[in-house]
Amino acid sequence: MFETGIRQFRMAMAMLNGRRIKPRLIHQLIADADATLGEFGSPGDDVDDLLDGPFADPETRDHFQTRGLRHTARRLATRSPFYAARFAEAGVDPGRLTLESLATIPVTTKADLVDHAGALLCRDTSPSLSTRTTGTTGRPVEVWLSRYEAELWPAMAALSGLLRNEINHDDCLQINLSSRATAAVQHDIEVCRLVGARSRALGVLPVDQSIDSLLDARGGSAPTILGTYPSYLARLVRAAQRRGLGPHDFSLRRIDVAGELLSQAVATGAHSTFGVRPSDTFAMTEVLPVSGRTCGQHHLHVDLNMGMAEVISLVGPRPAEPGEVGTMVVTPFFPYRDCMPVFRYDTRDLVRRLPDEQLSCNLAAVPALSPILGKADQAVAAGGRLVTPRDIVEVLEQLPGAPWPAQYRAAGTDRGLRLTVTPSTLAGTTAAELAARFAGIGIECIVDVAASDEPLRSVRADLLETTFTADAPVVGLESIGA
Amino acid sequence: MSLIVRQSLLQLTVSIVATMTVALGAVAYLRRVRAERPAIGTFNFRDVATLLAFIVVLPMIYLGLPRVWLTIFLTFTFGSALAIGLRPLIRPAAMWTVIGVLIGANLFVARTMLGTQAGWQLYWILVGTVVLISAISVSNLYVQGGMQLRHAAWFTLLLAAYDFYFSQVVPLTPELADRFQGYPLNAAVGFRFDVFNAAIGIGDLLAFGIFAAAAYKAYGMRALRLTLVFILTFGAAGPSLTPLLLGAFTRGSLNIVVPVQTWFGPPAFLLYCWMRRRYGPERTMAEFLRSGDVGATRSSVPARRLAAIAPAAQA
Repeated sequence: MFETGIRQFRMAMAMLNGRRIKPRLIHQLIADADATLGEFGSPGDDVDDLLDGPFADPETRDHFQTRGLRHTARRLATRSPFYAARFAEAGVDPGRLTLESLATIPVTTKADLVDHAGALLCRDTSPSLSTRTTGTTGRPVEVWLSRYEAELWPAMAALSGLLRNEINHDDCLQINLSSRATAAVQHDIEVCRLVGARSRALGVLPVDQSIDSLLDARGGSAPTILGTYPSYLARLVRAAQRRGLGPHDFSLRRIDVAGELLSQAVATGAHSTFGVRPSDTFAMTEVLPVSGRTCGQHHLHVDLNMGMAEVISLVGPRPAEPGEVGTMVVTPFFPYRDCMPVFRYDTRDLVRRLPDEQLSCNLAAVPALSPILGKADQAVAAGGRLVTPRDIVEVLEQLPGAPWPAQYRAAGTDRGLRLTVTPSTLAGTTAAELAARFAGIGIECIVDVAASDEPLRSVRADLLETTFTADAPVVGLESIGA
Repeated sequence: MSLIVRQSLLQLTVSIVATMTVALGAVAYLRRVRAERPAIGTFNFRDVATLLAFIVVLPMIYLGLPRVWLTIFLTFTFGSALAIGLRPLIRPAAMWTVIGVLIGANLFVARTMLGTQAGWQLYWILVGTVVLISAISVSNLYVQGGMQLRHAAWFTLLLAAYDFYFSQVVPLTPELADRFQGYPLNAAVGFRFDVFNAAIGIGDLLAFGIFAAAAYKAYGMRALRLTLVFILTFGAAGPSLTPLLLGAFTRGSLNIVVPVQTWFGPPAFLLYCWMRRRYGPERTMAEFLRSGDVGATRSSVPARRLAAIAPAAQA
């Protein structure tokens, strides 16, 4: 108890002063948290403050965010050649940076990451692990992590996961992420190792193999947590439904999805099939370890302990007004981002800034945005309004034939949205009825039907990893003598 | 009746009243009141070592500090201990008023009223009130913080060795008793009657409170009954009556300093071993809270937080 208090104090001081946090310290806190849960069944009274930080009060929030920005900017100005030049060009003194003057620094784009990768590496770090974006939304980007980051991020995630009861030593996590998402996969495996849970990193296998793995109750090894992409989840749901499986066939208690849009239809389908409503989280390779959680009222709450999220207007370099749609710009703070940090990275993810009102959701202590509405370059201006990928996906995935993940191509015209869908999308319905559904949400739409069911857009579920034994079930612990 | 017999009988009375008040008070508090605890952290053996380190070092600080600084130090220490126990029971303004009055009265009586028998008796009542509440509070801080009976058993066993060494080999404990005597915030519960003065230290009371609460948490009422018998026998009667048999514990004809934990520690440890063998693994705090051994509780934890905790505690 005394030692734990000292460890928490050391961690808090490191966070407050912008100093590196020893991963070993977090490992010890994880053991402490595990012992606490073993004795009490739940964490103590101020766990929300510990996890979410003191961000409910706007003044306190601004104070901590300003400190985080200055610590990060000061380090980048001396260690990152790219940002040293950028700050100099903008005439910014990192030590005097404020939330208001932040807008004078140009956002970092994906093109910057691709074209200036070498200059973005900090001088006092040693790259250890590279991770690449999957390329489903454009050219792949390679991000380097130091050993410190590769140890710290899972440790922080394991600690918060334990305390939030998102994972514990009784769990088994099935990881259906692309094997090329090295940081995410390594992160998940390490989180499991740190909390004493089991992990099954399967990759994006043919869905029936993943379903077989989820069903595997031999030796009590059936996964209790599933981590995947929304598009792959959609295919898992459809496969399970085809096989007549329901909640009583699975042991899942949690499903985490990230990286794509999760529609209400797929979330509801997953709930009725697996017995668990998926947790829609925000995570992006370029801005790791900043992440976000979706609350019961479908707000996106970005973790402000590790970074800062801004919403930038689509019509100019200014903050979006309340209620306005803009792109989310994220700055991960030092000491969490170390090797190849980004400052004001434009994710191109569209979000709507919420009205400045007191939130009433279960995560109200953390400021929120709307859920992700899709990538900015996939949104279209149609009939005088912005139609986002979420507008389209929500309508398509609600159709009677459950065409998941939605396949479409969108274009904007003066009269409205011109939407091309695959023939199977309209199973059980008609193009006219689909147009009527769009009209119901205020979008004039002309529907075209493609000649075949060839994919019209890329989703992460298409990053399929084949096996030599496509029909063989995944081997369980019992069968390997565990 | 000889002086030593009358002194021993007064010591026995004081010890029985003090030990039973703390032991039963600690258990009642454990049953009824939920103290705050940190987000992460549960008591372990390293905490036992830390506690013992404090127990070894603090008396030396008490002996070395100038009187004024000692009083300030004790005011802060007892104020904190009282706040820990009273916070879940009364509002902050009332709590600090009660603490202020108790400590203020202590200081006033110790400075102005010790010339009379009644003054001494009022002094001991005020001192005793502060010490009893503090011992009940701190024992609950540890037990509700995850201290288990096995920790308590080792703690008392190590205290037994400490108590013997620092009373019989290096006379730290008698010196400490002399330094506190007649000064405000004496760390003991006692009473004066005629020329006799009897007291039992807060460290001993804390050990009894911890052992009783931890035994009740671990195994329920059956363990508490046995523990109370052991406390009465080895914590109150044994040490109080020892001077009748052994002159080594007397100074002059009356002044008695008996290492109470030397009496209590070994039997208490054996009792724990027996209960462990007889009753099996002890309950965790979560299991205790789910059991029927908990009364209707008061808590310093906000209702919204309790609502969040409840499902996890029932899992």
